[in-house]
Amino acid sequence: MPLSREEQIIDDLKRYLGDKIIKAEKVRARRVNVEVPLGAHRDVIKFLKERYDIRHIVTITGVDLGEDIELIYHLAPDNRTWLLNVRTKVPKKNPVIQTIIDILPGAVFYEREVNDLLGVKFEGHEIVGHFILPDDWPEGEYPLRKEWKPKEGIPRARV
Amino acid sequence: MPVYKLPIGPQHPAIKEAFHFTFDLDGEVVVDVKPRLGNVHRGIEKGMEFRTWVQGIFLVERICGICNTPHTTCYALTVEELYGVEAPPRAQYIRTIINELNRIHSHLLWVGILGMELGFWSYFMYVWRDRERVMDVVEMITGNRVTTSAIIIGGVAYDITPEMEGPIRRAMDYLEERTKFYKKVLETDPTIRARTQNVGVLPKSVAIDLCAVGPTARGSNVKSDVRFEEPYCAYGEVPFNLVTYDTCDVWARAMVRIDEVLESINIIRECLDKMPNGPIRLRLPRAPPPGEAMNRVEAPRGELLHYCKSDGKEYPYRFKARTPTLANIPALCEMLKGYYIADIPAIVASIDPCYCCTERLIFRDVNSGKVWAWTYDELRRYSLKWFKSNGGRRK
Repeated sequence: MPLSREEQIIDDLKRYLGDKIIKAEKVRARRVNVEVPLGAHRDVIKFLKERYDIRHIVTITGVDLGEDIELIYHLAPDNRTWLLNVRTKVPKKNPVIQTIIDILPGAVFYEREVNDLLGVKFEGHEIVGHFILPDDWPEGEYPLRKEWKPKEGIPRARV
Repeated sequence: MPVYKLPIGPQHPAIKEAFHFTFDLDGEVVVDVKPRLGNVHRGIEKGMEFRTWVQGIFLVERICGICNTPHTTCYALTVEELYGVEAPPRAQYIRTIINELNRIHSHLLWVGILGMELGFWSYFMYVWRDRERVMDVVEMITGNRVTTSAIIIGGVAYDITPEMEGPIRRAMDYLEERTKFYKKVLETDPTIRARTQNVGVLPKSVAIDLCAVGPTARGSNVKSDVRFEEPYCAYGEVPFNLVTYDTCDVWARAMVRIDEVLESINIIRECLDKMPNGPIRLRLPRAPPPGEAMNRVEAPRGELLHYCKSDGKEYPYRFKARTPTLANIPALCEMLKGYYIADIPAIVASIDPCYCCTERLIFRDVNSGKVWAWTYDELRRYSLKWFKSNGGRRK
């Protein structure tokens, strides 16, 4: 039986970048998860772009898992017909990861969004000011982290 | 040549999604654009973590007032995936009909707005009058004109009864005739063509690289439509065409939308023809099992993604939405470069940015430090006057 397109890409990833991939699996039709260690996401995304011409990134989702922040890069291969999620974990104590905007320029806003709301720093992406939080928002407050609570000194909407 | 900084925005009190743009100008020509978002950031993603899965429906549909149905559809599909169930076939058809009604009303609203931006007020009035027919149909089905809460987890809240079929078909016939007329106006009116053709050009390769979505991408000949890519609801079972234009300008984006209205009318007719019988919703437990799911839906403005993570409790662990307008802003900034101040209203409107921004502008002469302010209305009037003095043509 010929391999489906999803399985073909998983196969290729394992063959060429085997040491940089923790897990690659098809979750269901049109959904593939590729888990990579911190620092390897650039190589995987670059490989996918060069070999399969994946140029569409849907968004970057950041999930606070307690100790780590998981970043999910939702890529859309084959003319955007399905989703390939490149997932990597960033430690919350030192949340720094390399940028991908030189590979996928469409990711600029998504990196800024994750930076603003979860406090992940993107090496190589110069971010000045806030993206969606107000200008007078205090430093070091990241509202999408689980431990964050509204508190004194946080600007509130006037109604 | 001095460079002028022209901040536009942030707020238009009547319409949501206020943006702030800073334009760098060389005389009349836009050189660079810097957007600043967040004026209507309401913390919905955090807020979802404090609401039950069912209450979430009512919060996600308030992410966007105009295209609320795709949001509830996407959320319902995602949560259903967490439960491991699918809504009954009849519910899928009703969802498709409600989504397409939403698309018709959103596109007609936008075509009217384009007329307004160009100073073509009678076009705006006529289009919005006919848009009322769609709103009447939506009200007949769901009891509400805009925010309907018709799509719920496990199905739909309202059925389409046999008595409703006649009025829906009559409204579709009427709208088809009117939309064909509006399309003819877009194709033939010299003023509209002069103001929209070869304005805000976004080449195909740039549109792909900047991840443009929806009609913005399709106007640049990118074949991208989630209804084709990942058929959801009943889109896999009804035939329809993917509309693209290759002129890559404001006019192409307008034509894509008006053609999509005609396609939507046909989809609704097909759905009414093929509508299966059966239940319209499932009963589900209060909380889905642990897991995560994501789904994409084609909203009127483009690809919309919802991501949900459950830890088995009554509240979502994480909810994330990526709306189409956010994806189109990098492309918008690219489109504006090299065009005149007077083109800004038409180009900004051309991505259908949940019509935003620009109630107030401040002009600052960098050399003399002179500052003056215009309201958005004044910018539009300036734009109309500018084109009138040039005989409706660019220099």
